Amino acid sequence: MIPFLTYPLALIALATLPALAAIYILRNRFRRKQVSSLVLWRFHVQSKSGGAKIHKLQLPFLFFLELLALALLCVAAAGPHWKAPQSARPLIIILDDSFSMRAVSENISAQTRAKNFLEKLFRQPPPSTRLILAGTEPRSLGASVKNWREVNKLLSKWKCWSPNASIDSAVTLAAEIGKQQANILVLTDHKPADENISNPRLEWRAFGSPLNNFAFVSASRTAFGDQDRCLLEIANFSANAHSTKLLVQTGTNVQASMISLGAHESQRLVFNISSDAPSLRATLEPDALAEDNDVQLLPPIRKKVRVQVALADKNLSALANRTLDATSLRAAISADPQLVISESDNVVGQASSLPSAGKMPAPLPAGNCWNLVWSTVAATNAFTGPFIVDTSHPLAEGVALEGVIWAAAQITNAPGEIPVILAGNVPLLSTREDFFGRQYLTLNFNPELSTLQNTPDFPILFWNILSWRISEMPGLKESNARLGADVTLKTTGEAVTVIQPDGTKNSFPKTGGELALETPMPGIYSVIGGQAFSLSTNQFSVNALAADESDLSACASGQFGKWSEDTARRLEETSAVWIFGLLALALLTTHLYLVASAKGTK
Amino acid sequence: MDSAIRQALRDGEKLGLRYALQVPQVAASGWTGARTGRRAGSSIDFQDYREYQPGDDLRFIDWGIYARTDRLTVKLFREEVVPHLDLILDGSRSMNLETESGSGAGFKPASGLEARSTKAAALAKLAALLATAAANAQCTQAIWVSGEGFQRLQNDALTPSAWDKLDLESKRTPEQSFEILPPKFRRLGVRVFVSDLLWPGNPISILRRLRDGAAALFVIQLLARDDVEPPEHGNLRVVDSETGDESEIYIDSSVAKQYAENLAQLQQSWNDACRQCGAQMTTLIAEDFENSISELEAIQLLAPA
Repeated sequence: MIPFLTYPLALIALATLPALAAIYILRNRFRRKQVSSLVLWRFHVQSKSGGAKIHKLQLPFLFFLELLALALLCVAAAGPHWKAPQSARPLIIILDDSFSMRAVSENISAQTRAKNFLEKLFRQPPPSTRLILAGTEPRSLGASVKNWREVNKLLSKWKCWSPNASIDSAVTLAAEIGKQQANILVLTDHKPADENISNPRLEWRAFGSPLNNFAFVSASRTAFGDQDRCLLEIANFSANAHSTKLLVQTGTNVQASMISLGAHESQRLVFNISSDAPSLRATLEPDALAEDNDVQLLPPIRKKVRVQVALADKNLSALANRTLDATSLRAAISADPQLVISESDNVVGQASSLPSAGKMPAPLPAGNCWNLVWSTVAATNAFTGPFIVDTSHPLAEGVALEGVIWAAAQITNAPGEIPVILAGNVPLLSTREDFFGRQYLTLNFNPELSTLQNTPDFPILFWNILSWRISEMPGLKESNARLGADVTLKTTGEAVTVIQPDGTKNSFPKTGGELALETPMPGIYSVIGGQAFSLSTNQFSVNALAADESDLSACASGQFGKWSEDTARRLEETSAVWIFGLLALALLTTHLYLVASAKGTK
Repeated sequence: MDSAIRQALRDGEKLGLRYALQVPQVAASGWTGARTGRRAGSSIDFQDYREYQPGDDLRFIDWGIYARTDRLTVKLFREEVVPHLDLILDGSRSMNLETESGSGAGFKPASGLEARSTKAAALAKLAALLATAAANAQCTQAIWVSGEGFQRLQNDALTPSAWDKLDLESKRTPEQSFEILPPKFRRLGVRVFVSDLLWPGNPISILRRLRDGAAALFVIQLLARDDVEPPEHGNLRVVDSETGDESEIYIDSSVAKQYAENLAQLQQSWNDACRQCGAQMTTLIAEDFENSISELEAIQLLAPA
């Protein structure tokens, strides 16, 4: 146990020791003085701070205390460390949570093999153990555990449903938790990136096997006019060509086909089905990994906006209706419009200009209705650009305005209005949100002098308006998602309960705005909420689609890296500064006591 | 004898010309001499009348009174006496203490001479002063120096500049010298004891011996400045000038304070003993000798001549 010093230069401070000794020796030098009689000197005790004889230098006890305290402080300042024996190191286990761990070889999965290994390991349990799940993000599984029973209880959370495994991040997290002192054990199904692990605290155990596997790597179902367009991408993750049988079931209609693919090839199947068709289910023949052989695609969410066109000008009304129809996002209006398009020749931002009585905008209906005011003012300027477009705004998505003539009144925006498109300092399209979250759009556009309505930008602009309105409607935004991806749910403030495929219920209290729902496992999720959700849109499907995890060809078994030898494991570098500091403190306390009681000089 | 001592004797003699010893009335008895005593004697100075008693000298009967009153009455005349001064000097080495401060205000060594002991010089000067003052007061004198017993100083009957062998080399205290060989004091003489008084023991015993048969006893404590003020802080090996004993001491404020207290206690014990014996005591600082002569007047030992 050889101590070493972190700051050897601090030893230079030891030069103070001879300085202290010199001070004492010089201080203790006795001057000879003849006196008339010693009778007046007999009262006090003879000084013992100096030598009684000239040949014998007697230093006081305080001197040795100070000398020792100084030496201890010098050594403490040098930061001594030594390897102190430790009983054992704590263990942090990183569990690969990706679904490739479910791949079965010889009727046993890599996850089961890893569990068996852990059970053997815990026959001699380490002093403390922590578990970290390496999923999309590393996650610690609770506090430290000490025996197999507690570990086994925590392992129930090891589901292996993650679309990937961030093992590197998990190792970093484990090193931080273990303060670089704990042993780290990685349980996975593949080799590390570098098989020669240099970290003496890291041991990598792989329990996978290279297996042939057919898998769905991509699947989608989107609205395509009156029909739904489906896409299925199937990949052959094996070293040889193989065939598999594909079954596609939509309601009672079942279609079977053979898929033959070469080594590491994939095939995309695109087909249309009726939009009335219920969920589509596609399955492949059973193979090593069952989880990627099955996909379910629910009908896409078709949301449309009930638009009320309240334009007095017939030309404008016709133009608006024509453009809205082109977007195919307009629903038939019966009552309770969601967007009202009205007309105004009011010069926005100028209080003196009152709207004409015949062209007053239609009164805004109650409820969550948005309003688009089409401002047509006679005195307009034709702008040819350049146009300043807020490309981050959803209304400006895809709007190019190249070569466009946009006639608009020379006005300025009202307070609170946020311009989206400007020509110089003239707002052409601006928005304003009221207290209830309703949007007021102002379109400063005179089509009589413009060419905008003859360009694709005009329907794009209206498509953006309707699309933005749809995005703010309550309900799910999508009905099919990949495993691990968040599904966005727009709410209006009511409480929401999400039922997972395994029946687990997650309740969310009243929270307005958006909810990002986690998808920890594949299957059909149900959302139970307020009246805002229709029955057709309260479900979404999550499919295990991850090519990297379905590719089992790189899986391997074995041990990579090893914890350092037992002797080294038991010896740990420990700072000894506190020992020297405490000793110095004790000496100085004694010194203080002796000085206070005047014993040190006797 | 050291030339510095010799010079001090001369200086003291010169200084003493301005003073006369104040002889107390009780001391005005003794041998027939030049001064009238307190008793009736044979001088021509009338003192008193009294009735004749058998044995009275018939020559002193006042026949005129007898003629008027028919009573024998004798005239008394004052006696003529010579007062005597016994000067007892501490001859121990402590009175010859070598000081670091050099010459003091009251001692000016002759040119070319290095004053090694201010205290010894002050002692010599004081002795010469007192002897000269005694001569001015028509007193006889005897100078006793302690040593192996008390010895009279050589040529002490002469003027101080003629004194010899004032060596101050004794290792004994005056009290020890008393034990060996006490001085032969003249009765009813004035006795002046000059010493630093720095020895252990009860002063009452030596004071009683000094006071015994004396008309008056004066104790003059002569100290060097170093005796009064202890050295500054630091380690010190103090050496007893008489015995050669050494002691190592760390001097700090508390030690200095206690030293001063010890000195005051010693002086108080001597003062108390002097009061008990009817003696007068004063303390002189050797380095400040000439300014301290007024102390001698204060105790009515000296008076301007």
